[in-house]
Amino acid sequence: MTEAAVVSADAVGMRFGGQQAIDNLSFEVHDGEFVAIVGPSGCGKSTTLRIVSGLATATSGTVRAHGSEVMRPLQDAAMVFQAPVLLPWRRTVENILLTAEMRGEPAAAHRERAGKLARLAGLEGFERHYPHELSGGMQQRVSICRALLLDPSLLLMDEPFGALDVMTREKMGFELQRIWTATRNTVLFVTHSISEAILLSDRILVMSPRPGRIKTDIPVALERPRSVETLKDPRFGELAVTVREQIETT
Amino acid sequence: MNRVTKWSATCASAGIILVAWETLVRRFEVPEYLLPPPSAIWQKFWQTLSVQLEEIAFTAATTLTGLLAALVVGVLLALVVTYVEPLRSIVLPAFAAFNGIPKIAIAPLLVTWFGLGAEPKILLAFLLGLFPIFVNAATGLSEIEPDVIDLARLSGGTEFRIFRKVRLMNALPYIADAMKVAFPLALVGAIVGEFIGGNRGIGQLILSGQFNLDTPLVFACLVTITVFTSVGIGAVAVFERVFLGWRLSQRRR
Repeated sequence: MTEAAVVSADAVGMRFGGQQAIDNLSFEVHDGEFVAIVGPSGCGKSTTLRIVSGLATATSGTVRAHGSEVMRPLQDAAMVFQAPVLLPWRRTVENILLTAEMRGEPAAAHRERAGKLARLAGLEGFERHYPHELSGGMQQRVSICRALLLDPSLLLMDEPFGALDVMTREKMGFELQRIWTATRNTVLFVTHSISEAILLSDRILVMSPRPGRIKTDIPVALERPRSVETLKDPRFGELAVTVREQIETT
Repeated sequence: MNRVTKWSATCASAGIILVAWETLVRRFEVPEYLLPPPSAIWQKFWQTLSVQLEEIAFTAATTLTGLLAALVVGVLLALVVTYVEPLRSIVLPAFAAFNGIPKIAIAPLLVTWFGLGAEPKILLAFLLGLFPIFVNAATGLSEIEPDVIDLARLSGGTEFRIFRKVRLMNALPYIADAMKVAFPLALVGAIVGEFIGGNRGIGQLILSGQFNLDTPLVFACLVTITVFTSVGIGAVAVFERVFLGWRLSQRRR
């Protein structure tokens, strides 16, 4: 185990009833890394995120965050879900501030950063809007800002763009890269989309079908910032084929 | 339809009904003790205004006291079933069984126990208002996306902070909706309480009207009760406008 690992999972297993959902799953995520997890449906990707965050407890093996075992929900992590799950009675900035208020810090102290994040995410002019007045893509940007507000040591993203249409989804991917380039948080990113994984991450962990374990660890050596041009890069195509083969062969 | 056309449509249809009522009652010479014309009701209403106000004040006091008690107890019970897992399986079935008893049927019992004063009226208003408030508050406190709670925990959120900033705020519109149902129910409780015993309240005034075949007085009491109910529902609407503005703009879409 490396000292710098933000997350290290060692032989993690998870049983639901009689079903082994995850088995002997091990990986590490280092400081400032953007790591994607891909795999067939139902292989336990979301469960892995929940175990890493401490929201769920593995039935075997150990997860460590910054070297100490995760026994309860992490206190300085943040999660972005497939649905934006904003609070309908709060405006954009107040929704972003929720994480600060939950930590028990005065909202006023974070207002400036919340505004800055909103601008960074392209929400300028929508700071005083209620969630129902925003498009799906904008709502998800708000939820990303909310997750980034306290500069979490680990940002967990569970198919954050899964509910968006293809065009918005691609645009949001590049947006996320831009935001991440500015903040450099450690990210663990679950996705179904191979191209999304390649475009965003430094490393792709491919999971096997149920019971899930890490099958391959594929480094993505493409230069940043990646753009629509990257899609034409022959190395992109090769990587996509490699990842696809890894997912499909058992 | 904009507000003005809506209002004028409402007023126009009310006007048509009143004119038709007045005309038909006069045309067929319906005796006043069976169905008085609107003009007679109106006249009676103004003649008896001071006694009307005096009696509705008593009824309003018992209704609102009962309703306030129902609000406090209903929300407290909702908190209990939300947070105290072992009590949930006791409180919920007890409540369901209790709700199966028509509260009106136990009104005579309450008079036996608590006499002819304000107490049995307040108690009936409380009992009738309690159920909708409890059920809605419990729903509002617990029906929250689990993802929101997870997110709050990961930011270091304590149960109390989650309650204050998430659960309670989520429950407010549910409670406001419940008040719109509980308020008329509590009024039913208070008036039935007055029917059964005592000598005060708008319910007693209705009974005296009925006893003396003074049907215009009975109708005049109904007018007073309707005005009171409208004011109560209006108060809840004002609360919604001030504190739950986000919800109104959400509904308009």
